[in-house]
Amino acid sequence: MKRREFLEAGLYGLGIGGSGLLLVPPLLAQAAQTLGAEPSNNGRILVVLELSGGNDGLNTVVPYGDDAYYRQRPKIGIRPNRVRKIDEHFGFNPGMAGFERLYKDGKLAVVHGCGYENPSFSHFTSMAYWQTAAPNRGDEFGWVGRTADAVAPQAPANFLVNIDARQSLAVRSRLHTPLVFDDPNKFTREGFYQEREVFAQVADTGNVENPSRRFLLDVARSAKSASAQVKEAWASYKSPVDYGITGLDLPKVAALIHAGFPTRLYYVAYRNNAFDTHVFQGDLHQRLLTYTADAVSAFVTDLERIGRANDVVVMMFSEFGRRVPENTNLGTDHGAANLMFVAGKQVRGGHYGTIPSLTKLDEGDNLVYTTDFRRVYATMISGWLGSGNAATILNGNFEPFKMFV
Amino acid sequence: MPPSVNDLTPISPSDWTYDFAAHLLERAGFGGTPEEIQVLAKLSPTDAVRRLVYFQNIQNNLPPFDHSGIHDPGLEPFPESRPAVTKMAKEKGEALGIKVKPGGDRPLQPVVDQFFYWLRASVLETQRVGYWWANRMLATKRPLEEKMALFWHGHFAVNEAKVRDYRKTLGQLELFQKYGTDNFRALLLAVARDPAMLSFLDAGVNVKGSPNENFAREIMELFTMGVGNYSEKDIREGARAFTGWNYADLTFVVNKEQHDEASKTFLGQTGNFDGVDVINIILKQPVTARFIAGKIYRYFVRQELDPQVQDKLGAVLRNNDYQFAPLMETIFLSRDFYSSASVGTQIKSPVQLAISTFKKLGLTEVPGVPDFNIATGTLGQRLFSPPTVAGWSEGRSWITPGLLLERGNFVRDVLFPDINFIPPDRANPSADVRVVADKIRAGMDISTATVPERGSEGGLAESNMLADRDEDFNTRYGSFRGWQMALERVKPIPRPTAQVNLSRLVTNAGLKNTTEVADDFIRRFMRVPPAEEKRQALIAFLNKELSTPDVAVARTYMEDSLRLALHLLLSEPEYQLS
Repeated sequence: MKRREFLEAGLYGLGIGGSGLLLVPPLLAQAAQTLGAEPSNNGRILVVLELSGGNDGLNTVVPYGDDAYYRQRPKIGIRPNRVRKIDEHFGFNPGMAGFERLYKDGKLAVVHGCGYENPSFSHFTSMAYWQTAAPNRGDEFGWVGRTADAVAPQAPANFLVNIDARQSLAVRSRLHTPLVFDDPNKFTREGFYQEREVFAQVADTGNVENPSRRFLLDVARSAKSASAQVKEAWASYKSPVDYGITGLDLPKVAALIHAGFPTRLYYVAYRNNAFDTHVFQGDLHQRLLTYTADAVSAFVTDLERIGRANDVVVMMFSEFGRRVPENTNLGTDHGAANLMFVAGKQVRGGHYGTIPSLTKLDEGDNLVYTTDFRRVYATMISGWLGSGNAATILNGNFEPFKMFV
Repeated sequence: MPPSVNDLTPISPSDWTYDFAAHLLERAGFGGTPEEIQVLAKLSPTDAVRRLVYFQNIQNNLPPFDHSGIHDPGLEPFPESRPAVTKMAKEKGEALGIKVKPGGDRPLQPVVDQFFYWLRASVLETQRVGYWWANRMLATKRPLEEKMALFWHGHFAVNEAKVRDYRKTLGQLELFQKYGTDNFRALLLAVARDPAMLSFLDAGVNVKGSPNENFAREIMELFTMGVGNYSEKDIREGARAFTGWNYADLTFVVNKEQHDEASKTFLGQTGNFDGVDVINIILKQPVTARFIAGKIYRYFVRQELDPQVQDKLGAVLRNNDYQFAPLMETIFLSRDFYSSASVGTQIKSPVQLAISTFKKLGLTEVPGVPDFNIATGTLGQRLFSPPTVAGWSEGRSWITPGLLLERGNFVRDVLFPDINFIPPDRANPSADVRVVADKIRAGMDISTATVPERGSEGGLAESNMLADRDEDFNTRYGSFRGWQMALERVKPIPRPTAQVNLSRLVTNAGLKNTTEVADDFIRRFMRVPPAEEKRQALIAFLNKELSTPDVAVARTYMEDSLRLALHLLLSEPEYQLS
């Protein structure tokens, strides 16, 4: 990297950057470097886990100490003797042994009442709001993509990884080409010996006017540079930790971290609207939560095993919670405010935010949000990744929680 | 004069070219061979478009789906989960048409086996339906009919994994084929009263006093008007109008006692509405025609849609009482459709990629190797398995670095079929089932045979311990036995490899040297040519492999080299463009 680019990168992280960047006296810049006051390059890794479909937060962390909960949910409310109690008010869903363990080890933060004004009850609209951190508005780029742009404006390769069948809006970035793949074993160009030479060539396409073609050529370059590394990382990763029925792609994240990938931002999902539990949700919802708790707790254990537990946190969210009263199909309909979780060794476990009232609901029988979800994003951007640009990334000032050791 | 962007007036006959005819076939169908393109190129643009849009007189003679005959009496209504089945069996002494054993070990096991049998059998039969439909796309003489059915499959997206009955998803496809190019009113009413959608959106549990909003919400948000054109209250009121709508096996029924007869206020109108009334009110909203026309435009033309163009197209649809043909004719004839913003800028969907590749290779049958469902699924578009109720996102969302490589690998698997191919509809479905099968055959008892082998440092995950319960029945055994029963009864998918003969293609086209071969391949397969450097590399590659630029010299041994060259060409990013 050229010296000036390096300085720019550092300064950007301090929030001094912007248009006046080149006017900053080099000495000051150097001082910032030598003091190690370059918080955006603290090497920490954020993994975002999306629980798609609208997870029922009330049956995830059950307020068994609140009678109103059982009044609202006479049939699907989880009885006190079944919950995994963590204090005199709350207990985890019976399927979540993994989260109970993380919580009792002080590695799990539960953030209450996360939401936004005028909530959308559409999966796709609300998910887009969460993915762009722009409620009631949307944005061309995702908040994880914008974070990558701010933390690493020089856009080094593989800084941002999205493991899924499709690229998420959350990772869409102005400067970065996110590395997106699904099955690492298949993330490879299958060619015959004779074809190698031609496949190795990168053609000079000159000035390309067709925007779709330009997009494809960019993606082709990203694929070429990363596929061999991902395959290698996956092949050399063997873990004795049991991630359960579905690892939610977290073993792949562990493999890349283990292989020393330069990735600082990972985005994975419990895919395909899985948590949309309108009918007969009991067994199904518990199973979804068990798979999630298994995968996340195994991931934290696995990070400890490979010696990187201090460098990684996992942030979990869903596009909305579910309505407080149960419906008559033993399920729940689309709601509003919900829980978020943050897990990791450096996390100060416990409850965050104000617990929303179960009796003072909005006119649609939904929890009224008490925590703007962007406060949790700000916590990740400034508190965890150490960037001073949270306000720019999130288009507003959101007070971070003091969530880390 | 090049056709101008956002101009909906018809292209003039003097501007009509072979390349535009090729573009038309790519979008209104699944691409064409040079011969098929030539036929359209010789017509006037109006005649060419009308031939694709007004196809009712073209005879197809394609066979209907050949059912394996796997559905047993007693399976309907199919309970929502395994626990629900065993609960029902305990209470009633019978479930799924199978009686509980009076005693002995695992008295519920035959019921659990039957549960898994039907789940697996329906999945396998759905794969056969996928092949049947893919073959229609390839062989049809009415390409717009199937292309439009594919569009509606993404619009009224229903997933077999939730419906769990191939007969319902097949029934819905037949509605798309029947009404999909006809009339939106007829289509919407048919789809809304079809068991596939009713089942997928939980309409069956939407009853008086406790409306379930899933169905009403998606009808407005995804199927007709789009977000922002109705309120949450409209959803709740609409849901009340749909109360009582249900299905009995494959038939639509209205349960009168579950229907809410009270007055509803929906989109500003008040009355004792039922579901059909609500749909009619929705169809009266100008925004509905605008929304549907816009979505059709994005699918057939390009993702960027000018609001004025959308207004005009919406008016065409509305003024023709929701008949599709005038709208399709307007779109396919428009200068906008042939402008540089539209031609060669669409990223092919995986199904489009597969079918058009087969077509351009001159195949008359979808190859059994590679497996069509797995190949398109890997690329992100498995038929009857859209990711969510919103269908597929189309456009750039089809492409990631991983998927771009996979698209090249797909071409390789067609041109060089894997000799180790194992049919996925015959092979053991998962490692767990295989292990259980081996142990049972080796004479182990069910409890021992079904203990999972994965021991580990941290012990078993919660989910793996849960699956281990072994009481009145054994779930792992049921899973194995269900597969076994399903494999026995579902007909196998034929597995011919692609009958590719590139040497014949080169000879028939009268190509004399490797430069002509490269140029012919580019013209035949690509709507956007690769960079000149890549073209030169392709010619050099052929010269080296054939050891001559002269086709006459290489005629008897050129097949493998031609296939390698084609694999290289079709792995280029530009091949993804239509």
